[in-house]
Amino acid sequence: MNQNRDFYAGLVATAFFALVLFVLIPIYVKVPSFIPGFAPPPDMWPRVVAIIGFVMGVLALVLAFPKMRETSKHQVTGLGGNIHRHKVLIARFVGVLVLFAAFVYGLPVIGFVPATVLLLGVLFIMTGNFERKFWMFGLTIIFPVLLYLLFTEVTHTPFPEGMLFSNSLSNLITLI
Amino acid sequence: MWNELLFAFQSVATLPNFLAMFAGIWGGVIIGAIPGMTGTMAVTLALPFTFYLPPVTSILLLVALYKGSTYGGSISAILIKTPGTASAACTVLDGYPLARAGKGGKALNMALVSSCIGDFISNISLFFLAMPLAMFALRVGPPEFFMLMAFSLTIVASISGRSLVLGIISACLGLLLATVGEDIYGSYRFALSEDMKSGLGMVPVLIGLFALPELIKMIVFRSEENTEAMKLGDNRLTLSEFRGSLKSICRGSLIGVVLGAIPGIGPSTAAFFSYSEARRTSKNGDKFGEGELEGVAASESANNGACGATMIPLLALGVPGDVITGVMLGAFMIHGLTPGPLLFQNNLGEVYALFVGILFSSVFLFIAGKATAGAFTKISRIPQTLLLPCILILCVYGIYSIGASPFDVTVLLVMGVVGFAMMLLNIPAAPFLIAFILGPMFEDNMRRSLAISRGDLGVFFQSWISWGFFALTVLFVILTIRREWKKWREKRDATPTSAS
Repeated sequence: MNQNRDFYAGLVATAFFALVLFVLIPIYVKVPSFIPGFAPPPDMWPRVVAIIGFVMGVLALVLAFPKMRETSKHQVTGLGGNIHRHKVLIARFVGVLVLFAAFVYGLPVIGFVPATVLLLGVLFIMTGNFERKFWMFGLTIIFPVLLYLLFTEVTHTPFPEGMLFSNSLSNLITLI
Repeated sequence: MWNELLFAFQSVATLPNFLAMFAGIWGGVIIGAIPGMTGTMAVTLALPFTFYLPPVTSILLLVALYKGSTYGGSISAILIKTPGTASAACTVLDGYPLARAGKGGKALNMALVSSCIGDFISNISLFFLAMPLAMFALRVGPPEFFMLMAFSLTIVASISGRSLVLGIISACLGLLLATVGEDIYGSYRFALSEDMKSGLGMVPVLIGLFALPELIKMIVFRSEENTEAMKLGDNRLTLSEFRGSLKSICRGSLIGVVLGAIPGIGPSTAAFFSYSEARRTSKNGDKFGEGELEGVAASESANNGACGATMIPLLALGVPGDVITGVMLGAFMIHGLTPGPLLFQNNLGEVYALFVGILFSSVFLFIAGKATAGAFTKISRIPQTLLLPCILILCVYGIYSIGASPFDVTVLLVMGVVGFAMMLLNIPAAPFLIAFILGPMFEDNMRRSLAISRGDLGVFFQSWISWGFFALTVLFVILTIRREWKKWREKRDATPTSAS
């Protein structure tokens, strides 16, 4: 398993640093037409780092490959087989990604407090442990509200009210 | 001098001063322990209150907040794998594994003791070595800075764990993410959106990388070990454990003092440097990263050692080394005191009173730390299924409060997913952390040095400080290559034996 992981780590690193080197740096690192005095251009350092990362990725692949071949003589499990075997775990991970994305996009719409209440509630459900339902329910409501009060009172942070609720929700919480 | 010291002692030993220091330390510890709330925030928030206080009381309150928050960062780092401050990031590496092994209280006690010793040594050096250290700090320019950062980055090799190659990949990822945003000459790099132009915040990245993967892992794998509360075990720090770490504590404190005196370096670099040195020299070096008390001691003594030392350039030269001392400079000015050489001539009474007061603060730090550590250790008793989701919500609020930016929250969540992917692929997170913190300083100082010298690489070898760090870097690289070569040969020799 470790050899497989090293191989995938090398593969991901090689692909990522290649993307940075050949796509992201040429597009997203602009070199100004005039640099005062002798100053290395802004793309020099990211390019050096990406090259080192790319070389290390290839090295990880090369080092993992023979050992992986040795392991595969004893046990052959393809990538498809692995995905099928771990489909529940993958579904849970996708669930986490969807939840985080929904939180980020939902935050400006429903406001900070309701979004964090929902996020906490769903996270409790996703842990799959329902032995302490009372605590889960209580914390889901009380904890974000307490934090909201703490941060608005102490640091005067302006949390987004949300397009749906406007000022009414924060007024209600402050009243409580 | 002794008469002035006695007078300073009398003027400091008053109830308002003690109350200010105690409140500052206590408040700082609590604020530092909350992820997202930093010492800078604490000092800035307290600044308006100082308008109504006498000058010495005001400065003592701010210094106490700074010291308290630096120690407080270690509490969340050890118990919930969430570095409250960047300087506590290094404490996570050994503190959290200790907490998982039921030694959270022991780790907290070690963090407290080493913080107090580091703080005390730092205060003593502030008292006796302010001028020479300030003069040394002035000799450290961009080339020396660059060499120091290069040496500090070699720690990547020692904390890469099983595979040096994967460690370097992790460090490259950290270095690359640190380049996002505006560079020192105003060019934008990897600014894929408007928000990214100001770069990725250090706190969201660090918290995302360390705290969130645990939550995602618990949700995805739902293993039994994650649903239970952590065991508390024996929380007392034994004399032999303390003695075993004493060398690292003293060395860490001195590293903190020297690096803290250099403007712009700060406690986090000192913590990494000290951790790296402790790992290299300790007989338990191989256990670092798996829950070694000496690792906690090394990083905590250095980051608190740097706290008092950041006051050295401020008091002796009037140069604030970081944002916090910048705010303190403001507090001095508000009260009609101008830090710098003239302060020692015109306001010697206040300076001595400050020195004496700062010495007292180490004692207050110990008392407040001891009292809060017991209470915070109870966090370990909360079942992980309740604790980890609440930590995420706490982090979301804390991080939003730093800059009122939803983008920071997005960075936190994305880094959590990246951290989880790294965990799955066995890519160590520690080298990423070091590279992300030190990377910008490394690059900025390299570019500054080359700009100053108009491209002449000789600028890096013009002073004995540069030469010293260069020699240490080369030596360490050679030792690492030798170690890896030996490891490879041992593996190669062992393979036919095991096969037969």
